Amino acid sequence: MTLGGVYALIAFTLSVALATTHVLNVAHGTLMVLGAALATLLTRFMGLSLPLSVLGVAGCFALMGLLFDAVFVRPILHKSRETILITSIVATFGLALAMETLLGFYWARWVDPEPSFSLSLPAPHIEVRGIVLSTQRLLIFAYAVVAIGVFHLVLKHTPVGKAARALAQDYEGALIVGVNPRAVSRAIYTLGVSFTAISGAFYVLTVPLDPYQGIWLTLVALIVVVIGGVGSLPGALLGGLLLGMIQALTVFFVGSGWSPIMFLLVLFLILVFRPQGLLGGRR
Amino acid sequence: MRVWIGWALLLLVLVGLALVPMVLTRDLVTALFFTFIFLTLAANYDVLGGFLRHINLGQGAFFGLAAYATAVVLTRAPWSPKLGALAVWVAVGVAIPLTAIFAALVAYPLFQVRGPYFAVITFGLVLILQQIVLNTSRLSGGSYGVTIPARYYPSLPTAYYAGLALAIGAVLINSFIARSRLGIAFHALRDSEEAAAAIGIDPFRHKQTAMVIASVPSAAAGCIFALFMGHLYMETVLGTDVTLLPVIIAMVGGSGHVLGPVLGAVIVRGLDIGLVYAALPVPNLALYGLMLVGIGLFLPGGIVHVLTRKGR
Repeated sequence: MTLGGVYALIAFTLSVALATTHVLNVAHGTLMVLGAALATLLTRFMGLSLPLSVLGVAGCFALMGLLFDAVFVRPILHKSRETILITSIVATFGLALAMETLLGFYWARWVDPEPSFSLSLPAPHIEVRGIVLSTQRLLIFAYAVVAIGVFHLVLKHTPVGKAARALAQDYEGALIVGVNPRAVSRAIYTLGVSFTAISGAFYVLTVPLDPYQGIWLTLVALIVVVIGGVGSLPGALLGGLLLGMIQALTVFFVGSGWSPIMFLLVLFLILVFRPQGLLGGRR
Repeated sequence: MRVWIGWALLLLVLVGLALVPMVLTRDLVTALFFTFIFLTLAANYDVLGGFLRHINLGQGAFFGLAAYATAVVLTRAPWSPKLGALAVWVAVGVAIPLTAIFAALVAYPLFQVRGPYFAVITFGLVLILQQIVLNTSRLSGGSYGVTIPARYYPSLPTAYYAGLALAIGAVLINSFIARSRLGIAFHALRDSEEAAAAIGIDPFRHKQTAMVIASVPSAAAGCIFALFMGHLYMETVLGTDVTLLPVIIAMVGGSGHVLGPVLGAVIVRGLDIGLVYAALPVPNLALYGLMLVGIGLFLPGGIVHVLTRKGR
């Protein structure tokens, strides 16, 4: 259930980037896995405390976001939507493949022959008036709420956020009134990539990840976007929570291997019976 | 005059390919066989990707489903041992229609979305099949894989010629579509779904038809592949790299052009085989991914479009 918050967050960063720049980042989930890997490296093998390593991840991946924007978004931003889509799928898929292969290969060689990323907290449980709560889950949930709140405030109240929303609503119209898509995409990717990477670090507090789960996580993010309704923030939240709940129930009743199948079944059912998504108005 | 040169070249290439099993080493013939399989899938991908501009990352799902169906019928069905050599045909006869029905059914949810959503959710088909294979080990062998009895294996030349025929068939299907009423309808839908619907072209029916047409040769390729490999693992039949290779081939070569997949297959598979022989210290998949990055960024329209100088 708490994972739902993380799912909602990665769905949200993906869909904001997609709506403003039309670049589909297939490596989105892979960046999340990389974030988890870096956090694991910093805490488990270099002995940093958890907050410090999260800060480290944030800094590194803000740079990574800048780089991603410069290489994968900026050069194609002026092309037609269809070209951007095809280009970005091929290029970022290549990136995802290269990153996950290198990560898996060198982690196995230098760090641990069986790559698996996970973090743990010093105090896994706290007790509030006799009710035992899992600190990890509370922390993840708090993180998701704070991050989504930050994103929401940025989009609603800062100039860059307003420009991003304008681009998402009407790209040409926004250009005419003087919005600079390059500045917006730089901000969106810096923020989006670092939040995605931190999400990875928080995700592995409860569920470990291996190097090859990136593309699946991208798909989860897109499923959340489609289930909730394309372009709807409350929809992404609802979709994320729904998937988190489905995952928890499937793991409990059937087995963890079946949850991807359940995700896609739910997605297909929703697409057939409510193609605009749960909270989507127009498409 | 130029047309004649083209046909003469084509004939030469075909004769050359027909003679290959008698000339080249076993390794290279096998590599060519795989190239035909991937070319078939790439050409099939282009039915949706090229004519309708719906990027279907799940083309490999049809291939994988048919491969597993063939293997499962041959190993698990009670009638298979009694039929002898006929069992192969029965298995293929089950696998191909099954895949076509699967394609027709998944069309209902998939065509509710377009653009990037369609692309990634079609890839979900592959992931769902991966998970089903891993979770139904009694049927599919799970992560241990499933072995087809050796008496059903085709010889290498048989597999090679079947693959060649299939690849030629898939490319021919595309060139027939390009000249037919159906192809014109597809192009109309690609350019504007609303306008096409207004003149009486049912968008969903046509897309569904495209999907089913595209699934059949891929399914046949899956059957041959399964029989040739003998032992199926989830990774070799439904792995991410295997299922996305055809898409990449079509995109590198040039989507929307009959020769695009052919050119892409030659280039991508050439690089692939070259990398295997180069034996570099870095994992091949990583280099492969980096090449994709380069191709995606610098040659988005595919190589055919650079050659024909039409651009985008």
